[in-house]
Amino acid sequence: MIIELVGAGLVISACLAIFFDEAVYSVAALASTLILTALLYGLNGAVYVAVFQFAVAVGTLSILFLSGEMLSEKPKNKTSPRKAVLVLAMGAALSVPMVIFSISSPNDVNVEASFGQALWNLRAVDVVLQGLVVLTVTLGIGIVLFKRKRSSQKLGDKD
Amino acid sequence: MDFVILSMVLLAIGVYGLLTQRHLVKVFISIELIATAATLNFVMLSSQASREASQAFLILAFSTDTAVSAVILALLVIVSKKYGTSDISKVVKEEETKPEAESNAVN
Repeated sequence: MIIELVGAGLVISACLAIFFDEAVYSVAALASTLILTALLYGLNGAVYVAVFQFAVAVGTLSILFLSGEMLSEKPKNKTSPRKAVLVLAMGAALSVPMVIFSISSPNDVNVEASFGQALWNLRAVDVVLQGLVVLTVTLGIGIVLFKRKRSSQKLGDKD
Repeated sequence: MDFVILSMVLLAIGVYGLLTQRHLVKVFISIELIATAATLNFVMLSSQASREASQAFLILAFSTDTAVSAVILALLVIVSKKYGTSDISKVVKEEETKPEAESNAVN
């Protein structure tokens, strides 16, 4: 139950980090995202990673973000309470699938398996999805560059 | 709870922010969210497979990620000082108008 709550808080704070209009509030939401991530690592037995995440990511990044924000301009409009509530509701809705559905198979874990076997048995779905994402991004960049080259050639012909 | 879905949701939020936000700090936050989603996936894989050594490699990944973030933040500070704004669209507009102004000055 605690892990589910931490996961839901993680998604909600990530949504708030993106949708807040003021950069300082976004930075604070990101800091809470990183703290909750460290907590999640700790609850799942990855204590060393949790400590390192907490020490390095939360401390250093938050200070760097805040110092960077002091140098940048302030936004004119502020986040309305209605928008904040909407973002909270959206984050809560987005965190429902991870609690209800399951696509991983932790029962198939074989401690003696090689890294490749473990990767394929436990993470086949996301490895394939990541491959699809990379392929789509590559195709998109190729199309954009081709169009840009074509338009610059047309401009060159006109001149 | 399924960590693959959690990391996918985090990745989706990060990609959405990267595509829609114009403020440089928000773009930076989106990149951080994407990196967090990727690391979360690997940490959970290693903890499920009970492999402590893999966590050591992930600590190295954290260090690299922090160094990259510091470099990006330095670039953000330079850009916001040079152009006086943190809005990407304004920076791009200013860069696009610069060659036209220069060619007008030459003519």
